[in-house]
Amino acid sequence: MKAVVFADRNAKELLRDPISYIFCLGFPLVMLAIMTVLNENIPAEANMVIFRIDYLSSGIAVFGLTFVMLFTCLQIAKDRSSAFLLRLYASPMTAAEFIIGYILPILVIAVLQSVITYTVSVVIGAVTGYSFVIGRMLLALMVLLPADFLFISFGLLFGTVFSEKAAPGLCSVIISVSAILGGIWMNVGSLSGGFKHICEALPFYHIVEAARGAVRGEMSGLASHMLIVMAYTVVVFIVSVFLFAKKRQQDLK
Amino acid sequence: MEYAVEIKDLVKDFGTKRAVDHISFSIEKGELFALLGVNGAGKTTTIRMLTGLSKPTGGDAYVMGSGIAGALSEVKKNSNLSPQETAVAPNLTVRENLQLMARIYGASKADASTRSDALINQCGMTEIAEKKAKLLSGGWQRRLSIAMALITQPQILYLDEPTLGLDVLARRELWKVIESLKGSVTIVLTTHYMEEVEALSDHVAVMMTGVVKAFGTVEELKAETGKDTLEEAFIAIADQESVG
Repeated sequence: MKAVVFADRNAKELLRDPISYIFCLGFPLVMLAIMTVLNENIPAEANMVIFRIDYLSSGIAVFGLTFVMLFTCLQIAKDRSSAFLLRLYASPMTAAEFIIGYILPILVIAVLQSVITYTVSVVIGAVTGYSFVIGRMLLALMVLLPADFLFISFGLLFGTVFSEKAAPGLCSVIISVSAILGGIWMNVGSLSGGFKHICEALPFYHIVEAARGAVRGEMSGLASHMLIVMAYTVVVFIVSVFLFAKKRQQDLK
Repeated sequence: MEYAVEIKDLVKDFGTKRAVDHISFSIEKGELFALLGVNGAGKTTTIRMLTGLSKPTGGDAYVMGSGIAGALSEVKKNSNLSPQETAVAPNLTVRENLQLMARIYGASKADASTRSDALINQCGMTEIAEKKAKLLSGGWQRRLSIAMALITQPQILYLDEPTLGLDVLARRELWKVIESLKGSVTIVLTTHYMEEVEALSDHVAVMMTGVVKAFGTVEELKAETGKDTLEEAFIAIADQESVG
């Protein structure tokens, strides 16, 4: 119950900050529109598909999640730097209630963000001549759920370990790395050598590919992509929760 | 005599530095008790231990009969604090901040609403009730911060330098709020301001380098040191410390 009350507070803090809308919603949707226009100007003989709406929609959905991570991180780092968290530490709230209270509203925001991204993609698809299959889009939303947890866990981790000033910088690194190595803006599949291996070793490429596969109905690699994403999610989640609880104990020494 | 807080041989070390050094004293139920001292005297560390924000290195303290070493969850239910820095949720309104704290301490939605309405009236916050906390002046934020502690209906309220950084008028307004609480809730106040202690407190403990150097009413401290004002008495106690 206390976790839900705290989650409600965190949701209000996030939803009442206009910057949240600009980065969590506005920026991904603007990128979706810009990349669609760009795709219209790429000659067919270039055989470049990643900016086609059936590929782009999932890439942008994952790109949007990186900003969810940024806001998770900022919320926690801000609270830690203020006396408000001190006040809550003096309350009967447990570490688990804190963590659930932080994760719950951001998880809802992350899912809503993906729903909006795919909905706008359907509109763009209708304009550009591509028909999405709604069932596959619902599957993509489910496929993205572990990724929602993964990015929120990264946010929890950075917000716990680093200060309000340092944390956004580190999140920017993850945003850039996930966009480049995740194959949002380039076709990792066409690469070879060490760079491709790095992309495949990290979870971002697998998140994007799993969501793209779900949207396009290409299920062959879905299980292996999901396995890698879920393994990363479990590890990062456990580490972030452990560090949050440890940091809380240190603050109470 | 019924005590709200009984501190017994409490010690707090930070590494090799001893912040609180074997302090023992008791605070009566319903009184306003002032902890006085210069920066680094150990006032805030003592409050942090009493509210469960810091673990004692040694000794114990009993808050409404529950020990901070063994029954911290009971201690937390019975007490609340308004920290030194203003502690409010910036994007929530005054009313939402109050309801949030009430519900975190277990009040139902309806109960939290009733309590917040009453407290908004009691603290004169009717006009700013729907304003976001971040838009309030420093004085109003501090008043809200205290109200957020009060809404949980604590039996003991810790006010850690509640008027620090406020202008004279805002400070006097806050004094009125604190005075109105006397008798209904035990208040433990830390402050640097002597006039605040003279105006509000029933008993005073003067802390220096983690040790309680003097304890009594304002008049008793003046009589002990042979001084006319609390400020002079405080300086005399501090001088004894520096000479000693």
